[in-house]
Amino acid sequence: MFKQSLKGLSLLLIFSVLLAACAPAVAPAPQAAAPEAAATEAPAEAPAAEGEGVPMVLMPKFLGILVFDQAYQGALEAHNEIGNPAQLQFLGPTPENSVAGQIEILTNATTQGVKAIMISNNAGDQIAPAAKAAREAGMTVVTWDSPIPSAEGEQVFVAQVDFDETGTVMADMARSILGEDGGKFAVLSASPDAANQNAWIAALQRVLEQPEYANLELLEIVYGNDQSEDSYNQALALVDKYPDMELIMAPTTVGIAAAAKAMQDEGLCDQVKVSGLGLPAEMLEFTLNGCAPEFALWSFVDLGYLAYHVAYKLATGELQGVEGETFEAGRMGSYTIEKDPTREAGLRVLMGPFTVYDASNVEAAAQ
Amino acid sequence: MNAIRRRFQPEQVRELVLIALIIGIIIFFGTQIENYFSPRTFTRISTSVAVVAIVAVGQTLVILTRNIDLSVGSIVGFTAYVVGTYLAANNDLPPALAVLAAVGIGAVMGAFNGMVVAYGRVPAIIVTLGTLAIYRTLLVEISGARSVLTSALPRWLVNLPPVNVFSIGAIDIRLLFAVAVLVVIVFQLIVTYSAWGRRLYAIGSNPDAARIAGFPAQRIVFTAFVLSGALAGLAGFVFLARFGNITVVAGQGIELQSVAAAVVGGVNINGGIGSPFGAFLGALLVDIIDNSLIRWLAISEFLRNALLGLLILLAVATDTVIMNRLRKLWSRHELQVATGQAPTEKGKGHRAV
Repeated sequence: MFKQSLKGLSLLLIFSVLLAACAPAVAPAPQAAAPEAAATEAPAEAPAAEGEGVPMVLMPKFLGILVFDQAYQGALEAHNEIGNPAQLQFLGPTPENSVAGQIEILTNATTQGVKAIMISNNAGDQIAPAAKAAREAGMTVVTWDSPIPSAEGEQVFVAQVDFDETGTVMADMARSILGEDGGKFAVLSASPDAANQNAWIAALQRVLEQPEYANLELLEIVYGNDQSEDSYNQALALVDKYPDMELIMAPTTVGIAAAAKAMQDEGLCDQVKVSGLGLPAEMLEFTLNGCAPEFALWSFVDLGYLAYHVAYKLATGELQGVEGETFEAGRMGSYTIEKDPTREAGLRVLMGPFTVYDASNVEAAAQ
Repeated sequence: MNAIRRRFQPEQVRELVLIALIIGIIIFFGTQIENYFSPRTFTRISTSVAVVAIVAVGQTLVILTRNIDLSVGSIVGFTAYVVGTYLAANNDLPPALAVLAAVGIGAVMGAFNGMVVAYGRVPAIIVTLGTLAIYRTLLVEISGARSVLTSALPRWLVNLPPVNVFSIGAIDIRLLFAVAVLVVIVFQLIVTYSAWGRRLYAIGSNPDAARIAGFPAQRIVFTAFVLSGALAGLAGFVFLARFGNITVVAGQGIELQSVAAAVVGGVNINGGIGSPFGAFLGALLVDIIDNSLIRWLAISEFLRNALLGLLILLAVATDTVIMNRLRKLWSRHELQVATGQAPTEKGKGHRAV
């Protein structure tokens, strides 16, 4: 019997290894895109001069998520405005294969004549070698939404908002919900190694040290791993652990919606409010019934639009990608490339600002 | 003592061992966590275990036949999304039809797995690993990056999670938990008393013998996959009711949770041993440990996963040791009966199973 259990355990181990190893091979997303990319190969042999057309790829963290499609809409808008005759592709891995899939797509794009790629990086520094190889092959590499932490292989990061401003916006929402006397709250984040969430929470903690926020007390930071189930359970666990907690701040769209649903299901909305970064369409119900009276977000359409302008201008040589350069980004106006203060190295273009949603404007934004 | 031995087999006592372990764990956390012994804790754990418990029952049926179904997580996500999208567009669809649609979609996806495994004779792990990715990609394709939104769903569905079937004192039995328990009871009865259920065990214990004995092994394996898919579809409906907002990542990872629940619950991965009730206890054990650890102030977020793994290993190891002891007791007794000898030192050599 014991031998059989051992066999069972080793089988389980093998499953997990197989799962990790086989999933990339099965996921069809990158392969399916290959023929389209091959078609653009011929014109790309020549260096991308002005007017020649720049084949470009916009890569989300993974496919099937609304905000990334909104970013593609924005990029497409810029693509048509500029009149780039080459193709703009929206290529991303499937959800269960995000990290390996992103690296695979980047590597393939390099060999398929793509001249510029815009990445919402979900692979941390693991993507850096592939990005460096792409740079050496003459490709323009721009990140948006989520940067390469070490900035290696990346020319410019198009930042949605200033990471420090995120801290201020969250602290202000907390103060506005908890009232003048302040109160106790907890943070429900994505995964412990999510680069942008960690930077925002660090910014929030710095803001809380200022005297005018002294009556806000951060009890604990917990992680729901951007899964509905984990986030829902974590939100209820916070309520059980801290009977005097009045607010859950979730700087993740999955976390904020799951926490709000948990409070609504258990009839806790009068006692504990939910706030953070959320999508108007997903939060509509909870904002109108008072479970999540205020939350914030930026426009992903604008983010895609701006990322396209930066990548196109770098690929055509209109921008060199050095500190202090100023450029016009179509309808969005003038922007400057600056040193990224939130990382050790790297340059950024800062978009901003936040929109704060409440019962008065959430319905219009949810359409 | 002999009467007890004749009446029960070690495998039947196993569930009692698991229950004892669960009680032990609850008592331990009761000493560590303030207000742990409250109706609230019961509600939290019972509602959180419902989805995995339903999937684990289907997984058990498949594992009993010496196969495995790794596609259940994708089936949960797919049915939750498709049924959710349809309900969002047609708010007046009768609830019974919505549940039926979820079960039906799941059954079709399970039937595809079953067809390839049973009639195509492709190893189940390969087939379902493939459909795990295929069903998920299908979901990504048809979703067009739109999510199911809570605000678009009919009210009866959004308000389903807090619905009580009945209360025992201050303890609420929620509808979704009751559904899971009902599923466990029905399938426990099926595998114990129906001919089809007994054949699951026969096929898993010795597929060759079962075939020679003339069992329609292919059809039985096929049906097991259909039921596993159907139950995953039902779990998808529960998932939809519980979370409202459904994106393309819904249900990811449930396949491994269900396998873990089954294995912890004493379902042998080589088939032939285990029961839906055992898998339910396994799911409950894992969920109690998980939900208690996130409420235990002494444990940091970063230690929690390691501790969860350690506690599950400890529970399974304890279970194995106790079960081995019990088996020795039983086989010694059988040896006695067979040879008419008192247990001697010589007899010890034959005890190992």
